[in-house]
Amino acid sequence: MKARILQTLSDLRTYALQKGGEVTLYYHEEDSALMRFANSAISLNTNEHLIRLEITAYAGQKRASYELITDLSQLDEMKQGLDIAMEMVQHAQPLSYPPTIPVFAESFADESASDAALAALTNEEKLQYFNRAAAGLETDELKLSGIFSCGVNTVAQINTRSPHTQYFQTTDAQVTAVLAHSRLKWEVTAEQSAQKKSDLDPAVVWRELAFLVDCYQHNAPQQLALGNYDIVFGATAIAQMLSFMNWIGFSGGMMKRGFSFLKEDNLGQQVFSDQFNLCDDPTRIETFPFKRDFSGLRRAPFTLFAQGVFAQFTWSQDDADEFQTAPTGHSVAHKSLVLANGDQPAASLEELVALPRDRDILYIPFLHYMNIVNPSKAIITGSSRFGALLLKQDGSVVVPYNVRITQSLLDIFGAKLAWLSSSATVHNASSSYGARNPTALIVPAFMRVNNLEISHSNASY
Amino acid sequence: MLNQIKQQIERMKTRSASYVDARWYPYEEANYLMMWNGNLKNTASSRESGLGVRVLYNGAWGFSASSDLSDLGALFDKAFDNARVAAERVTFPVRLAEKDAITARFESPCGLNPFEVPLVDKVAFLKEMDEKLNQPGVSQRISDLYFMRKQIIFVDSEGSEIEKLITEVFSSLRVSGLDSKGEMFERTYRPDRSGETRGWESINRSLFSENAARIVKEMNEVLVAEECPKEDRSVILLPGIMFLQTHETIGHALELDRILGYELAFAGGSFVTLDDFGKLQYGSPRLTARADATLPNSPGSFGYDDDGVPAQNNLLIDRGVLVGAITGRQMVEEANATAHRQIFNGSGGTNRATAFYRVPIERMTNINIDPGSDGSLEDIVASTEKGIILDGDRSWSIGSNREQFHFGTEIGWLVDQGKVTRVVKNSTYKGATVKFWNSLSAVGDASTWKVHFVDNCGKGQPNQIMQLGHGIPVCRFDNVRIGE
Repeated sequence: MKARILQTLSDLRTYALQKGGEVTLYYHEEDSALMRFANSAISLNTNEHLIRLEITAYAGQKRASYELITDLSQLDEMKQGLDIAMEMVQHAQPLSYPPTIPVFAESFADESASDAALAALTNEEKLQYFNRAAAGLETDELKLSGIFSCGVNTVAQINTRSPHTQYFQTTDAQVTAVLAHSRLKWEVTAEQSAQKKSDLDPAVVWRELAFLVDCYQHNAPQQLALGNYDIVFGATAIAQMLSFMNWIGFSGGMMKRGFSFLKEDNLGQQVFSDQFNLCDDPTRIETFPFKRDFSGLRRAPFTLFAQGVFAQFTWSQDDADEFQTAPTGHSVAHKSLVLANGDQPAASLEELVALPRDRDILYIPFLHYMNIVNPSKAIITGSSRFGALLLKQDGSVVVPYNVRITQSLLDIFGAKLAWLSSSATVHNASSSYGARNPTALIVPAFMRVNNLEISHSNASY
Repeated sequence: MLNQIKQQIERMKTRSASYVDARWYPYEEANYLMMWNGNLKNTASSRESGLGVRVLYNGAWGFSASSDLSDLGALFDKAFDNARVAAERVTFPVRLAEKDAITARFESPCGLNPFEVPLVDKVAFLKEMDEKLNQPGVSQRISDLYFMRKQIIFVDSEGSEIEKLITEVFSSLRVSGLDSKGEMFERTYRPDRSGETRGWESINRSLFSENAARIVKEMNEVLVAEECPKEDRSVILLPGIMFLQTHETIGHALELDRILGYELAFAGGSFVTLDDFGKLQYGSPRLTARADATLPNSPGSFGYDDDGVPAQNNLLIDRGVLVGAITGRQMVEEANATAHRQIFNGSGGTNRATAFYRVPIERMTNINIDPGSDGSLEDIVASTEKGIILDGDRSWSIGSNREQFHFGTEIGWLVDQGKVTRVVKNSTYKGATVKFWNSLSAVGDASTWKVHFVDNCGKGQPNQIMQLGHGIPVCRFDNVRIGE
């Protein structure tokens, strides 16, 4: 299949050259499957096999693109797409800067994050996984929800500047298991990310669910008083906040356009706690990395923050062109963000709960529907969900109704950051909007932040 | 192709499938143009075609989709196999509410097909708007146009055959600027849906020009404004934020699949329970809300849903009392059976899929609020002792059961003793859903009622983006926390 894809791209390149066109071609193929659970049943079981071809045509400083969903047997349809893109660009308006058309100096292929066993996972195996992850935990009132999303993702590129190609293939699975009380409306969750079949371990999911279910069934629920709390965020919440930072933080283009809380003056300055070390690390295979970017630049570990000091902005090729700076290898579908561990021993929720504590601690594993209130001040807001716990100083556990926090990332990752756990976890952040784009971050399992305000507290589940 | 699809449906019936449907998209095309600070950053078109197949077997769904229609048999077999495995874990076997077999055609009203408008005309429009937005104080200016056109042919095992041709036009303007501290603020314009059609003719240049000047002026006022106070006030929501309040705390909260727990893995549930229908005082008696898929000019109107059920105009909240939900064929059957009473009389016709490769789920149509009798915006302001007028959606965050929310707006105007006093920046408000809607103290008349489009409503796994509308008046709510 790989040879056929690359040959098709090569044929299309030849056609574009014959027509006198200047084009880049971006091929995306997904073989996706999603088994969805709700109310302890499989509510949906889907397969989608989709091939997308995005054609970008250039004429001087003009640029236009045409995308089609197609299949490899439809070469004529793809050629028509090329014709349309090359016609469209004639009527476009010139950009104020010359867009770079990459020249691939060599062909590059990376299938290191592809696992044949995961690609061949059957419906029966997925069902068996979920049956084991929830074994004995479901009741008439406690219902299983969740997803088992998996697929094979292929990206390939060519352009008229060079006959060389780029080819990337990954396999991925994203598992979310939720146990929800149908009458009381509380819910707990456990997640797993897999790049290869052997990463899948339903026993780990089961243990986390079982622990949380036990907490929720045997401890009294409570509405928390408004005020300030020491909060331990779980891996998902940490990853969610870092994803927002990726958007309104260290992107050079966003900074230049005024949508970032970081300015050029922040370079080399202490922005966050000295415990905060953030890197874009394409060597971490668990993140489904791109080892070259779409402009053909080699990608290597890229330090964003070292001991809280802001190291550098990321620049995609287009932003670099527009703002006349050098690209940093960040024309990619996703980065490979890794937040370094700290030194607090706590690998699991059980271990966190067992830690001695000097005061009450609110555990928030997940922030639901987070959004940016003020990008310039890095203020975000979101509500707790999926298994929050109030860990009392005396060692007891209280189940809190959900609460809202509205806080600045500058505080959360800054002076108020107390510790990061010494163990890491992979958080699968893939979104299934549009084309498949398996994405994961590696983050500490837990992060304690002191003295954060709760601005809303629910009176019930 | 249609005959081959029908043959496959018959073949599935012989394999004991209790229901089968297929949505064939001969084509779906889109065109997106975006000008940012004078640069035509996006000139993008797309075209796709394919088939989505849904099979119901032993009470469970299977779905399969592909753009490659060379082996229809394999595509249908895959959907069947997915259903067969899903049937190994069934708790409430899927039943579908009755519907008539329908042979019909629907075409959304469109004067000028936007795909026949030359690209140069579209670029000229964006350039004209960009020049109007290029004013002192503006650091970023974005104008965009988004067109969609799709043909959908729906066939099912119950004898329905429906063809839909839907055209949509979306457009917006946005400016942002930095205040003296380097803090960014923005102001957006999205046109209301006036007129009866949805084609290129709905782009009203003079209206865009007027509003380009307005948003620049208002953004510059925000840049030099004081911070929004942190206190309790009445909030007067203009359509530019009232649509979002309605969308997030009525629309999503009343999707029946959410209420029944089918979105708990991701998007969340709803505070509403089946016991609440006919009883819950959702809002004050001034509140009447409906799901109306019959407005001609709105993307929430589509003729027939993707279950093949005709579009309808159904009450959701009648003078404050919860009476209805956003429903499709499957969920109404399960809800009635679970509640042991007849809450819903058939499907509300709201099941839609975003593309051939996604499965239909309950989606908002046009979730509207009826105009009230509290007069114009000026009348409402005049009767407000201590309030704030809010407009523009800057941020939104909602609790997982839609029970509470926090919204940021683009601009606020303080109101004291019945008069607008000054503009404030960073205007936000928050509340608990039922308490908030019960504090509804004024609903503007028809002069304040606008149809606001939404082109990016997300829901489901795999995720689906849907287009819809909200017909809403200006509304006032009392004792609301602002400024947090």
